[in-house]
Amino acid sequence: MDPQLTSLIVSTSETAHIEETLDRLIADTGANYSMLLDKSGQVIAWSGDTDRQDITSLGALLAGTFASSREVARLLKEKEFKVLFQQGIRENIFTELIAEQWMLVVMFDKRTHIGLVKVLSKRATDELTGVLDRVKTESRAKDQIISTSFRTSVEDTIDLLFKD
Amino acid sequence: MAIINVAQREIRCKIVYYGPGLCGKTTNLKYIHRMVPESAKNKMISIDTETERTLFFDFLPIDLGTVHGFQTRFHLYTVPGQVLYERTRVAVLTGVDGVVFVADSQPNKMRDNIESLKELARNIQNEGKKFKDFPLVLQYNKRDMPNAVPLEQMNYYLNSQLNARSFEAVASRGVGVFDTLKYISKLVISKL
Ligand SMILES: Nc1nc2c(ncn2[C@@H]2O[C@H](COP(=O)(O)OP(=O)(O)OP(=O)(O)O)[C@@H](O)[C@H]2O)c(=O)[nH]1
Ligand SMILES: [Mg+2]
Repeated sequence: MDPQLTSLIVSTSETAHIEETLDRLIADTGANYSMLLDKSGQVIAWSGDTDRQDITSLGALLAGTFASSREVARLLKEKEFKVLFQQGIRENIFTELIAEQWMLVVMFDKRTHIGLVKVLSKRATDELTGVLDRVKTESRAKDQIISTSFRTSVEDTIDLLFKD
Repeated sequence: MAIINVAQREIRCKIVYYGPGLCGKTTNLKYIHRMVPESAKNKMISIDTETERTLFFDFLPIDLGTVHGFQTRFHLYTVPGQVLYERTRVAVLTGVDGVVFVADSQPNKMRDNIESLKELARNIQNEGKKFKDFPLVLQYNKRDMPNAVPLEQMNYYLNSQLNARSFEAVASRGVGVFDTLKYISKLVISKL
């Protein structure tokens, strides 16, 4: 990944592909919820219970937890922790790293076996790795979205909102 | 890294407030949270200790609303400033698009400011980015302190090599908070 890159553009067809992968993962495991996060903590796509509150905060917190476990790995001279498992009373959370850039999160309760989640998450991350490769390598018509007039409009909005 | 999601028509950027312990990073976010219009506001999450020192981060998403058909959003974070938490700061910086470096204007904090800024440069470089090209703004906070270090000296110690834009602030009264935020958000958008 080019570290100088300032933005990642996910196209409509890639989002559809990601959502399909998440939908299938949920259907096959019987999990409640699944989402794809960028390592910066932003939610790229999700699938499952529609009444989940506060997906944005959830994304920020889970990505933060993962980033901090990466630092733990570094201190232990471990290459990385590829997966993270949080066990709750009602729900469990399984997070798996994808190509050091994205994270696949699966939330499930006692009706789903962790072994199944592990195996099927692996299948999903393989597929998502392919999507991520395309997002990173295919050239994107960014100028059509981030045009000069877009920038001007954002600046106007910033002036309007960010004042005492 | 900013994410542009064409299907959901969303653009999201990450801005991190960095700086030594007690310099006023959380105070900046609290003020923004209090003053920003209801339509832009979201819940602020703070993971802190019993004494309100940041332990992991503060997180505040701000909605700019829809611009040219794209829902545009800034995710604001603070890092924990205490020296102890260096690796946590690295974690919070992951994927950052722009940084506000908050410096404490008190003379006995100058060394902490300098150390923290050096650490930030190191951490940005470790992400593979060039620090001198990276979107950064300096905020000289606590200008209300009677013993505040004069501006020229703040610049001399912190900004003589960087030549970044700097703002004076009294975050506890909101002075300079929005000027700083406005500047960094525009800078981030200009680099998209
Ligand atoms: N006098 C004065 N006090 C300030 C100002 N800004 C913040 N403070 C005070 O400084 C103290 C620390 O502020 P915080 O915002 O919690 O500091 P922080 O940078 O988040 O600290 P950590 O979380 O430990 O990194 C609080 O008591 C604030 O009220 C200012 O401009 N002037
Ligand atoms: Mg704080």
